[in-house]
Amino acid sequence: MTNREKYKKAFSAVCPSDEFILEVEKMKKIRKQHIFKSMAASVAGLALFMASATAAYAMDVGGIQRTIQLWIRGDCTDATIQFDGDGTYSLEYTDAGGNEKFMAGGGISIEADGSETPLTEEELMEHLMMPDVEYEDDGTVWVYWYDQKIEITDKFEDDVCYVKLVKGEETLYLTVKYKNGYAADRHKYVSPDGTWGGE
Amino acid sequence: MKPSVEILIEKYRNNLYVMAFSVCKNTQDAEDVVQDTFIQYWSQKKEFESEQHIRAWLIRVAINKAKNKNNTFFRRNALPLEDYMQTLAFESEESSGLFEAVMNLPEKYRIVIHLFYYEDYSVNEIANILKLTQNNVKTRLSRGRGLLRNTLKEDWEHDE
Repeated sequence: MTNREKYKKAFSAVCPSDEFILEVEKMKKIRKQHIFKSMAASVAGLALFMASATAAYAMDVGGIQRTIQLWIRGDCTDATIQFDGDGTYSLEYTDAGGNEKFMAGGGISIEADGSETPLTEEELMEHLMMPDVEYEDDGTVWVYWYDQKIEITDKFEDDVCYVKLVKGEETLYLTVKYKNGYAADRHKYVSPDGTWGGE
Repeated sequence: MKPSVEILIEKYRNNLYVMAFSVCKNTQDAEDVVQDTFIQYWSQKKEFESEQHIRAWLIRVAINKAKNKNNTFFRRNALPLEDYMQTLAFESEESSGLFEAVMNLPEKYRIVIHLFYYEDYSVNEIANILKLTQNNVKTRLSRGRGLLRNTLKEDWEHDE
């Protein structure tokens, strides 16, 4: 038996659960519920589950699609963003090498009474202006924010790094868990365990 | 061309799920990735050149979404791999060992190995999907194979 045959045989055991529903109309509802479930258990207050690009400004082109400018690795790039109306978005852009890229994300806000509300387009756009963290093949780790590029490779302690970012009058407190996500806040560092931490 | 999403779900659902799982190592995240990938296909106006173009696009989007899952704070509580493996019906211990060895590879090697051995893509095709150079893909493939050989010994042939 070849390696390829062995590989396919091994992975033939993997399949989605019986409850996995893939009807398009139901998928959106299911996705929303899944987001809410995972978010409710993770964090209180405003919650974002992905922000991987930085937006400079947005221009309406009609409907729910917009053309925006993103800061990707310090470069300003045109992108098309689509808001799905349930607190999530997807976007496409062409990187500096001419390659088509896709991203998606979203979030919810959790009220004091525990109720959950999908983020608005304005809130999502605000979060798209958050920094980006990149792990390079050579092992270095970088934070990108607008045209700023900061190496944080040696700043991790117990796989957590805290970075204060300043641009004009704007300040951001960034918490990075090594290869496990990051969170930013304008007033305090977010604790890696998902609760508010001190500066 | 743009076939209906229902046709594509029927055709690619399992492959995308296995692809996503091999990146996320989490069943619920993998299912979310598959759903979100098809939603993205369904909700955008993009036209495709061919069936192969669609397949490659779906796989690329699924990989990107799965990587995004890995890079967020708010990941689901993943079932440990050993526990998950106990729920799978492997045909043999060799299959179980191969699965575990692949899942323990670094992500960048795991993705390339999976595209080559499971999806039957060539080095050139993998380079196009992942937007890497062919040399980069060859390097990752070679290092991934080397790690598998170290772990699996005689159960993994020298096929470079």
